[in-house]
Amino acid sequence: MASETSAARGATGSAGGLKGLVALVTRHRVLCALVVLALLPFLTPYEALAVNILIFGLYAMGFNLIFGYAGMLSFGHAALFGLGAYGCGVPIAKFGVPWFLALPMGIAIAGLASVVIGWFAIRSRGIYFAMITLALSQVVYYTTYQWVSLTGGEDGLRGVNVPAIDIFGLHFDMLNPTTKYYVLFVFAAVAIALFSRILNSPFGAVLEALRENEKRAMACGYDIARTRWLAFILSGLFSGFAGALYAIHLSVVPIETLNYFNSAEVLMITLLGGMGTFFGAFIGAYVYIMLQDVVTVVTVHWQLVIGTLFVVLILFFPRGIWGSFLKWVRA
Amino acid sequence: MTFDLILLQAFTGVALGTIFVLVALGLSLIFGLLTIVNFAHSQFFMLGAYVGVVVLAVTGSFWAALVLVPLVVGALGMVCERVLIRPLYGRGIDYPLLLTFGLGLIILELVRIFAGTEGIPFNTPEALTGAVDLGVFFFPKYRLFLIGVTAAILVALWFFLEKTPYGLIIRAGARDPEIVQVLGVDVSRVWLIVFGIGTGLAALAGVLAAPIRGVFPEMGVPVLVEAFVVTVVGGMGSLLGAVIAGLAVGITVSMTSLFYPEMTTLSMFLLMAVVLVFRPRGLFGRAGVLD
Amino acid sequence: MNAHTPLSPAAATGTPIMAVEGVVKRFGGFTALNNVTTSFEAGRLTSIIGPNGAGKSTFFNVLSGQFPPSVGKVFFNGVDITGTPQHRLAHMGIAKSFQITNLFPKLSVHENVRIAAQALQARFDLWRPRAGLKLDETVEALLLRVGLQDRRHESVDTLAHGQQRCLEIAVALACEPKVLLLDEPTAGMSPEEAKDMMDLILKLNAERTVILVEHRMKLVMGISDRIVVLHHGTLLAEGTADDIRRHEEVRRVYLGQSV
Repeated sequence: MASETSAARGATGSAGGLKGLVALVTRHRVLCALVVLALLPFLTPYEALAVNILIFGLYAMGFNLIFGYAGMLSFGHAALFGLGAYGCGVPIAKFGVPWFLALPMGIAIAGLASVVIGWFAIRSRGIYFAMITLALSQVVYYTTYQWVSLTGGEDGLRGVNVPAIDIFGLHFDMLNPTTKYYVLFVFAAVAIALFSRILNSPFGAVLEALRENEKRAMACGYDIARTRWLAFILSGLFSGFAGALYAIHLSVVPIETLNYFNSAEVLMITLLGGMGTFFGAFIGAYVYIMLQDVVTVVTVHWQLVIGTLFVVLILFFPRGIWGSFLKWVRA
Repeated sequence: MTFDLILLQAFTGVALGTIFVLVALGLSLIFGLLTIVNFAHSQFFMLGAYVGVVVLAVTGSFWAALVLVPLVVGALGMVCERVLIRPLYGRGIDYPLLLTFGLGLIILELVRIFAGTEGIPFNTPEALTGAVDLGVFFFPKYRLFLIGVTAAILVALWFFLEKTPYGLIIRAGARDPEIVQVLGVDVSRVWLIVFGIGTGLAALAGVLAAPIRGVFPEMGVPVLVEAFVVTVVGGMGSLLGAVIAGLAVGITVSMTSLFYPEMTTLSMFLLMAVVLVFRPRGLFGRAGVLD
Repeated sequence: MNAHTPLSPAAATGTPIMAVEGVVKRFGGFTALNNVTTSFEAGRLTSIIGPNGAGKSTFFNVLSGQFPPSVGKVFFNGVDITGTPQHRLAHMGIAKSFQITNLFPKLSVHENVRIAAQALQARFDLWRPRAGLKLDETVEALLLRVGLQDRRHESVDTLAHGQQRCLEIAVALACEPKVLLLDEPTAGMSPEEAKDMMDLILKLNAERTVILVEHRMKLVMGISDRIVVLHHGTLLAEGTADDIRRHEEVRRVYLGQSV
């Protein structure tokens, strides 16, 4: 796992060159991420793809908080992303709640779910944690599947219509894909800045300590269980936020958002980009979604490609793209 | 609601539970020795059913399928262990898990490519159709057979682990791999064999479940989660736990479908939640495994 | 030789800061500790010694809250702390170092001590920047204390073994403990390094109670105020170095070693 702080540290001595550049980028990570994301619509064949990259990048960022930074492998994040989507979508579609109330509702519901799922799951570690989060996410899946009157069941939730967004007297037409991208971009920017702030906080340091050596962190006086719980909840809030934006983006919420395969996808994205790295989530989302876009045109067997990618990454590039790059620069 | 009906449902639960037991047993055996969770386990289960279809088509004998399926799929499992999983030993507990997940996707997609996405009918063998009069109620012959086969496998496995030199090595290895190494045993070979047995058991469960659940590419998907629930309830790495929890989950699901059908799918998760609250390590979980 | 006098005012009172009462620890059918009762006076340096398999490590782990005793109780300042979670013990003022070096391997020396020091003031703070905590002075003082000030930016895995052991102590000190528990602090060290470590421990003892487990009897005889000898899981003897030297049973157990 690559520690970005140490990358920055190693480079302070040798100014200039690639090392210096990486250090500079790392120091101004929020700004750099936002600049690249602002240009994203020009780097993708069509805007909807850019929106997907933005949302899945955000989702992977939240997932990365516990997987990459705290070292907990959750296999149930689809439940948090999906509940964010349904939590935002149901009020809009079924009760006509305005988007600016529905969005925080989605985040709150995902947060609530992560409080409950986290409470059960943090009592265990490692693979056990992965199994329990997967099992509990299935509970959410089946419940949503059966509660047809509220969620639309198998067909998904339809009618999450947010045709326009008005903020501070400004009118944004959400049916225009470019406008939609930049509106969602503003939301994402807030989340990214918040995320960076958390990583940089004392709590962020505790997470790293936890990942590096749980036993020692405990002896230092850190309450491991509570730290893990809080990390899980924070991660759930970010994932739920991404889910809520997804509902607004698609105008429907497919039941697949809750499927365990969605949990695997975010894991794949994080691994691909580089777990425990700030930019990894978005780099992974970009590569994954672009690849998906190309491959699904050629063949229906997209899962074969993903499966192979999983195996190859784990065997040969466990650091992912940005993680490997950081290592190469530092070496 | 009569007592007979409840008893029948409990019996049905036991028959249903046998599949859980076989799948979870393989998962637990592999975990106990290799400390890896095989996320592709359910795809070996599905593969078992498909290989069963092939054997049945070629030989026309369900019994030949019962023997050949675990051997063929077990051998395939061993190849996967040797080629894919072996390089990951000692590299952290998450890596094999992620790799086997990818492997599972590959198996699933390959089956879709070669066998199609449609389901394949799998008839109950002639000799096992119909029902038996158990005095209190009639019970499907095939389900009775399932209970019998599982019991026989449990006895065989128990005999193998407790009474043979190989079993001794496996049990010792599960407790402390270093000791086995010191004794001059090639541990990697033990791992290989255990992985083969584990995947073979999953495949056997697959072919046994085929007449009840049907054969289709996604048939393994719910099985993985079911097996996880059983292992979490029974306690990771405990074989006795896998057996008891497998039956308990089977009976729970079956009883819920009688009294509160809407909750059938959720009932096993509720059972798991209750167990987690009172015994975070599962009913028979060992202390060291999670720390 | 035994001229070392603790400077801590607490020492004068002679009250026990830690105590164990009737402690038994079983692992399956094996009894590692059998009915051990003893206490540790505040401000003193107490060494726990014993031959291999005497139950020293088990005793250390019970004392430091790593695992609860099967029977018996552990006290800190008169309060029953049996079964108290580790992180709470750290806040009460009990710090420990591990026998096998146990640090944050991918972080720098500075970061290791810093994260330990941070536990006193910010555990769930999501908002303030880390840099705002003003921990640098504390960290520098601790590094100076153990002689690692020149290595502050190095990664832990590049340090020599002896330096890692010193860092281990600095990390333990960062939570400003009243009692410092050290599990074989000189394990794997050369004789010179071990001597330096003992000097450091003596200095640390000037400000706080130190309880250490040591396999090599010779190292601790000169500096300890009190020595506790374990053998086969029971308390064989306790007293000053001179008491221990004269003790018949101890001599027998350590036969062949120069007592």
